[in-house]
Amino acid sequence: MLDWLWLVPGLPFLGFLILFAGQGKMPKRWTTLVGVGSVGLAALVTLLIAVEFYGTPEAALTYRQTLWTWMEAGSLKPGFSLYLDGLALSMLFVITGVGFLIHLYASGYMYEDEDFPRFFTYTNLFVAAMVMLVLADNLVLLFLGWEGVGLCSYLLIGFWYRDPENGRCARKAFIVTRIGDTAFAIGLFLLFRELGTLDIQDAMSAATATWPRDSGTATLIAVLLLGGAVGKSAQLPLQTWLPDAMAGPTPVSALIHAATMVTAGVYLIARTHVLFQLSTDAMQLVALVGVLTLLMSGFTALTQTDLKRILAYSTISQIGYMFLALGVGAWSSAIFHLMTHAFFKALLFLTAGSIILSVHHQQDIFKMGGLRKALPVPFATFLVGCLGLTALPPTSGFFSKEQILNAVWSSPTGGQLIWAGAVLGAFITAIYTFRMFFIVFFGEQQTEAHEHKGFKFHVPLIVLAVLAAVGGFFHLPLTSALPHAGHDHVPLGVEVTAIALPMVGVLLAYLLFYRQIPALRQLFETGPLKSLAAFFYSGWAMDWLYDRLLVKPFVALARWNSKDLVDQLPAVVSRGAALFHRLLSLSQNGQLRYYVATMALASLVVMAVAVYTG
Amino acid sequence: MTMTELHALLPIIVIAGISVVLMVMTAFFRHQRLASLITYGGFIAAAVLVAGQTGSGPQQATPLLIMDEYSRFFSLVILVTSLAATMLAYDYLRRSDVFKEEYYILLSLAVLGAVVLVSSNHFAAFFIGIELMSVSLFAMVGYMVQGRTRRAVTLEASVKYMILSGVSSSFLLFGIALVYADFGVLSFSGLHSLLGLHSTSSYSQIGAAMIVVGLAFKLSWVPFHMWTPDVYEGAPVPVTAFLATVSKVSVFAIIVRFFIESGAFRLEALVQALVWIAVLSMLVGNGLALLQQNIKRLLAYSSIAHLGYLMVAFIAIAGSNLANTNLAVEATAFYLVAYIVMSLIAFGIITTLSSPERAEEAETLAHFRGLFWQKPGLATAMGLALLSLAGIPLTIGFVGKFYVFAAGVAGQLWLLVGVLIVGSALGLYYYLRLIMEMCKAPDTEPAISREETPLENRVVLSALGLVLLVIGIFPNGLITTVHAAVAVLR
Amino acid sequence: MVDVALIDHVFILAAILFCLGLVGVLVRRNIIFMLISMEIMLNAAGLAFIAAGSAWGQPDGQVMFLAVVTLGAAEVAVALGLTLLLFRRYQSVDVDNLKELRG
Repeated sequence: MLDWLWLVPGLPFLGFLILFAGQGKMPKRWTTLVGVGSVGLAALVTLLIAVEFYGTPEAALTYRQTLWTWMEAGSLKPGFSLYLDGLALSMLFVITGVGFLIHLYASGYMYEDEDFPRFFTYTNLFVAAMVMLVLADNLVLLFLGWEGVGLCSYLLIGFWYRDPENGRCARKAFIVTRIGDTAFAIGLFLLFRELGTLDIQDAMSAATATWPRDSGTATLIAVLLLGGAVGKSAQLPLQTWLPDAMAGPTPVSALIHAATMVTAGVYLIARTHVLFQLSTDAMQLVALVGVLTLLMSGFTALTQTDLKRILAYSTISQIGYMFLALGVGAWSSAIFHLMTHAFFKALLFLTAGSIILSVHHQQDIFKMGGLRKALPVPFATFLVGCLGLTALPPTSGFFSKEQILNAVWSSPTGGQLIWAGAVLGAFITAIYTFRMFFIVFFGEQQTEAHEHKGFKFHVPLIVLAVLAAVGGFFHLPLTSALPHAGHDHVPLGVEVTAIALPMVGVLLAYLLFYRQIPALRQLFETGPLKSLAAFFYSGWAMDWLYDRLLVKPFVALARWNSKDLVDQLPAVVSRGAALFHRLLSLSQNGQLRYYVATMALASLVVMAVAVYTG
Repeated sequence: MTMTELHALLPIIVIAGISVVLMVMTAFFRHQRLASLITYGGFIAAAVLVAGQTGSGPQQATPLLIMDEYSRFFSLVILVTSLAATMLAYDYLRRSDVFKEEYYILLSLAVLGAVVLVSSNHFAAFFIGIELMSVSLFAMVGYMVQGRTRRAVTLEASVKYMILSGVSSSFLLFGIALVYADFGVLSFSGLHSLLGLHSTSSYSQIGAAMIVVGLAFKLSWVPFHMWTPDVYEGAPVPVTAFLATVSKVSVFAIIVRFFIESGAFRLEALVQALVWIAVLSMLVGNGLALLQQNIKRLLAYSSIAHLGYLMVAFIAIAGSNLANTNLAVEATAFYLVAYIVMSLIAFGIITTLSSPERAEEAETLAHFRGLFWQKPGLATAMGLALLSLAGIPLTIGFVGKFYVFAAGVAGQLWLLVGVLIVGSALGLYYYLRLIMEMCKAPDTEPAISREETPLENRVVLSALGLVLLVIGIFPNGLITTVHAAVAVLR
Repeated sequence: MVDVALIDHVFILAAILFCLGLVGVLVRRNIIFMLISMEIMLNAAGLAFIAAGSAWGQPDGQVMFLAVVTLGAAEVAVALGLTLLLFRRYQSVDVDNLKELRG
């Protein structure tokens, strides 16, 4: 059964080829069959492989399959070879499994779109590239997958090309991630240069043999790879592209910008964990990036009003948790959280898609309200998703986040301050999640809603809801692929705080946005806080309050950061490149005699060099 | 001249025959279809003859020309490229209102020059080949300078090309004269025991530098590149296609042979100068292409950058390790083929979309906006070519770039490899910008004609697209061929 | 190298001619003078070939000179045609008129 591994990337790629050859002239039914079926079959193959995989003893859990030697350039012979281990298999579950559900959903969601076939053409290609990225056994193939998913992401953000704004968003995503990708390419190149092999596993074992702990080279390479991961996974300081990427269709947001592609950075660091283990500084940096990102994007999510943007910021924040986990050496917890996040975030996005479709493409949560009765299924599934995101027991998110927080407390690269940041983040997560939940589903209904019913809409939602609820009990086969973090014993108080704070957050959100504080009001009406209580009548007032007390400093920082510093980075790069272009263009002035003069001068230089240094 | 020499020269004689037959024919009656068929037939016959001789060992035909695996490989590449370029030009010429038949005469003369050039191992043949090609190219660049359907800029392009090319030829010649004065030898292999080992005289050092300057112009290495965008834009696009592929590739093929056989790599100062030329080519080429709005100019700048990438492998040949040297030579040969395939597709698409009857070339972004919705086949081919130029995996361009990269790494040219990576990152931006443009909503008033794509263009473009993909996925066939072809050098 | 003194002298002359030609191409705007300057550059190379050939006692230098002369003739044939068109278009032979292609 393991021999069938090549089918996992092969089937979606075949689907891509068929759809591409069809050029949109195939009937929609066939398009659906090919587009969804290919990913479904890939998921089935993954499942069969997993069955066999789980049957073998853990120590022997690797499998290599060489399809063909891609090219032989001297001693470099990158092959089309796949490498399967527990880490890759865990990723395959997410990509094909969640991917299939999202495809199924998309076949309903995108049905009316005139570019229905093009959508599946891109997404099938995306799945193939993403699987390639995960299964690659050498750096070249990894790079192929990395560039491939980037390309698909770019095409899909700009999917609705008629709106030039979407093109702008796609370009922004492209430029910002390109900065990371360049760092990534340089990192891969250095890795190859220092270790002389393209094979990832060989490189990792060579790394430990070559470099001592905390060697400068290892740190440099790790930081460069981190640069690539930060770009792809929308972490500080390259996070600004992800909220704009919401311009793409909602299933794309669920598939690429929540469940799979944006977690490629996490996968990359986990795959090269040996390198990061060699460098305490790099680990520390990963942890810091994680915690700062999760806090900053959490606070930003508090103030957003666009449903998809809230989810986008929460994605950034949750990936921040994964980075934090990687930074403190809790490798398998990071991947575990990656999986549970894929479940509940895909669920949230798809449900959000259903809601948005039901209210005629309204995305502002304050223009929704009271949708509980009109949309019963989305209501239920959204609730499950929110619980998962908030990490309340016993949902999947609880298990993964608890592991991470415990690991942070006791890790040398974590510590209590970072732990406090992460727990604060969890608290904020609870507030913004349930703020969104209560505003969308409770209160006065602001708009008409027509639920889109049917198999294609409900089945993925329900399956994902079940997964989001019970996914925490899954056992991922990671013990052989990633070093075990060890059972961290943390003081009981710490654990209780970590579990309780999100609950407090939910309660607070409940009081503020559901009950609209009648209880608090009474309390305040008798006291000197009476005037202050006026703010609590509405969510708006409360918004204003915590805006002042809490969020403003952070948002100011975030805004300063997102409008000036971080947006500056891509802007500086693109402006610098544009300036470079203009300066060079001046040299191309069209004057024949000037061209001759340049040539004469340049040849003088060449001749002088040849004579005087020769 | 013996029979074996004559046999070896037969392909060259056939190509020369094309132009003679066409000249005679045109004197009596004009018929574009017939002229084109004669040209195709001649190229195919010559290609078959070359292919038939493959594997028969090196054959020196007169002291001037060598027929070995290397020259046969590149002759074959040039003939097939020219065939494709001629087929792509047919419909374009048909729709213009100039005399058509002379185009085929000039083209076959240029091809003759190119084949002589890649087969030369003597300065005389080298010089004759390069000038035969260049002078034919002046005339081709200025081919549509008259007539109702002329474009105003064609004249400018041809004058610029002529003057600059003349100046560069003078440099080349003077350089050859200096080297000759120093050693009294004109054959490449005769120089091998002399050049660079004879450090007392600066004649040969200056001479080699001047030869490099002359060739740098033809290859548009920065800072000898300034003519490139102007000529690419001004020339009729089928001529640009020919200029960008055949002339570049043949000159590059011969500079590799010249440097290896004459031992010019021993001139370390010159190689150091080449390193900086390569760095400049990659950076300036990509930088100029970055925000370029005219597609022909964009491709011109991108070709400058690609020639810069090729230089990385070229400079890697200088290394002392034989295995690495072979790798580097293979990399240049492979990359040249890749470069031809993708450039030919890109220019072929522009040719197909252009309307010579309205003196309009499909060179603005507006011509490409929404192409995916109007002409999906052409847009797909163009998309493939652009992805390949950008070096996205699974295309021939990626394999080529990887090869060059491997050669640079093996030669430990870290500066060049670093610039190669940065340059490719810049390149991706403008290639994908064009792809996005093709994906956009079409303008209400389509800038391109809605005519059916002619059969010839369709066949050529699909074949090239297929080659681009197949070699991108299974490159080992071509790698083996290239490996065998370059083994004869040194 | 044979007869160093002679060859050096001729090469100095050839180099001066070459530079004169190059400067001529640079400073003249009249296309006809540019073409003449180009011819001077070519002939400087031709002179160098003849000198080198005679110094080595070989005919090769003269053969190359013939090739150079042929090239010069071929170039001028095309060039004069273009000059004519240039004059018709702009009513002048000033190459500085040609500056549409740029950027």
